[in-house]
Amino acid sequence: MKRFLFLAAALLVACGLLPACADSPGLVIGAIYVGNVNDYGYNRSFHDALTQVARDLPGVKLLEAENVPESADAERAMENLIHNGAKLIFPTSFGHADAARNVARRHKDVYFEYAGDGDAGRNFGIYFGSTQSAWYPMGVAAGRMTKSNKLGFVIGMPIGYAIGNVNAFELGARSVNPKAQTIVVVTGGWSDKAKEAGAANALLDQGCDVVAMHVDSPAAIIQTVEARGAMSIGFQSIEARALAPKGWLTGLGFTWAPFFKEVATSVMAGKFRAAAVYRGLGEMVALAPFGASVPPAVRKEVTAAADRVAKGFNPFTGPMKDNQGITQIGSGGSMGADQMGTFNWYVQGVVGKVR
Amino acid sequence: MTTPLLLGVLAGAVLSGTSLLYATLGETLVERSGIVNLGLEGVMLLGASVGFAVTAARGNPWLGLAAAGAAGAGANLLFGWLVVGRKANQLASGLAMMFFGFGASALVGTPYGGAVIAGLPKWRPGWLGELAWVRSTTLFNYDLLTWLAIPVAVLVAWVLFRTRWGLGLRAVGESPAAAYAAGRNTAALQYQALAAGGVLGGLAGAHLSLSLTRTWAEFMTGGRGFIAIALVIFSKWNPVRAIAGALLFGGAEALQLQMQARGSNVSPFILEMVPYVLTLLVLLVWGGSRRLNAPASLGRTFYGSN
Repeated sequence: MKRFLFLAAALLVACGLLPACADSPGLVIGAIYVGNVNDYGYNRSFHDALTQVARDLPGVKLLEAENVPESADAERAMENLIHNGAKLIFPTSFGHADAARNVARRHKDVYFEYAGDGDAGRNFGIYFGSTQSAWYPMGVAAGRMTKSNKLGFVIGMPIGYAIGNVNAFELGARSVNPKAQTIVVVTGGWSDKAKEAGAANALLDQGCDVVAMHVDSPAAIIQTVEARGAMSIGFQSIEARALAPKGWLTGLGFTWAPFFKEVATSVMAGKFRAAAVYRGLGEMVALAPFGASVPPAVRKEVTAAADRVAKGFNPFTGPMKDNQGITQIGSGGSMGADQMGTFNWYVQGVVGKVR
Repeated sequence: MTTPLLLGVLAGAVLSGTSLLYATLGETLVERSGIVNLGLEGVMLLGASVGFAVTAARGNPWLGLAAAGAAGAGANLLFGWLVVGRKANQLASGLAMMFFGFGASALVGTPYGGAVIAGLPKWRPGWLGELAWVRSTTLFNYDLLTWLAIPVAVLVAWVLFRTRWGLGLRAVGESPAAAYAAGRNTAALQYQALAAGGVLGGLAGAHLSLSLTRTWAEFMTGGRGFIAIALVIFSKWNPVRAIAGALLFGGAEALQLQMQARGSNVSPFILEMVPYVLTLLVLLVWGGSRRLNAPASLGRTFYGSN
């Protein structure tokens, strides 16, 4: 009798608990951003992808923290997310690395996916979009649309990835317009809006009529360029085209959602595999829609170039000299996707000094 | 058509120097009354964020401009209550106000982060627009704040040196005891200077977010508040000389960007240092003796009244 009562009680408790188990989220994802998610740029691309994951996968809840600086403060933000139940953390800025690795060491049961480079750890995965080759078709568009043969490129800091972007851009422009030059202006920071506006003005003053950029948010530059009637090519988020109804040519944006879905699914299935994942055009990077001013012939050329890149075309194949005349890639050699962070030279046709 | 280097630097100097000039004028007024406001950076940020938020919410940049001025005045009056009302240490209170400005501006500005605004309308006189060498640049195509920058500097100089109110203000800055003995209300004068200086500081920040960049980002002033404090010293607390100072620093920043855009052979890292090195050099050579030029009672708390 007692055993029967005990079993009945256990069954009742189990039945009572089951609905509760179905209610609690399958996975809580935490994300930290270095800036504002409404920046039409870098941070927005992550936010859009993660909200899509939370929408498409059942049982996923998303917690976000904006304006988390690249310092020890980031550790506090991530600890806070973990305290609120997050089991998968996305530190989205390059400078969040140290903080993220520290927190990952302390919480071995929480998984991290860091947007940058370095070594993967047991619970620490690395990923980024290979943007460099994707800038080649952007150069094709700029090379065809420019009338002054001067293209401007504003970068935040001369890190290897940014230099690689500039190089691919110039190579693409040169492939359709041998007279095209790319002028580089460095602002010194990833998000100094007043300097970005000044840099855009300076490039336009020197005769550039197409301006591209590698900074956190293209908004200030695109708006300045649009106000002066020149053309712009966007970066980080394809939504930036809303800022330049007349001058927008094309742009690149990150499409993280498919990769994020893979990671979230693997965590929920208990099968997380830490790895270094770099994917390019067609997977983590996408072409933005063309602006109204781009003629159909140019669109075809750009799309064809983008297809070649997606199928494996590498613009960085030798022999190649830099803009000082020194050979950097020998004939038969090439620079692979994993070497993109090591760029410290500009290709011929780029006007600028690296350091 | 490429712009000659000098013209490009001048164009950039005016655009960049407008917010510096307004901030310097505001700080000059405040320092002339004997108070050092190290929190100018926070005041500018508050002006930038409140101005942007109101413009984005109501679609009217003039409303935004007014709100920015009011926010700047409010912040300075809060600072005034600390240092005049409660007689707190000016330097420490100023720094506290700076951090307050960082946080409060982010609180106000972040919800409007991605908003797209038309900003302050720009205007160029017709006859200037006909000249080809002007049309291809940003020269003389300015918003109201930039057009009024030099007139406002002249106005501040006139108020300081040609009105009774200005005389009383300067007296409080030189010797509050003497001003008090002469029957002036020292606290009231300092509050008034702080309010006026705050309006100018708020407008300085608003120029960045409503005209120059038409966006909002945290810490977007990038140290301009502190440059303005240095410019007050460089201009020997004279509003008209502040015009030269603002143009000089704005020009240095424009110079390094123009040089990069022309493809100079100098490292971008060294070019980035140019504005700050120039400010240091200028202060060294022309800074003069602070003892002789500064308001005699700058930074001192007056315990005599109210």
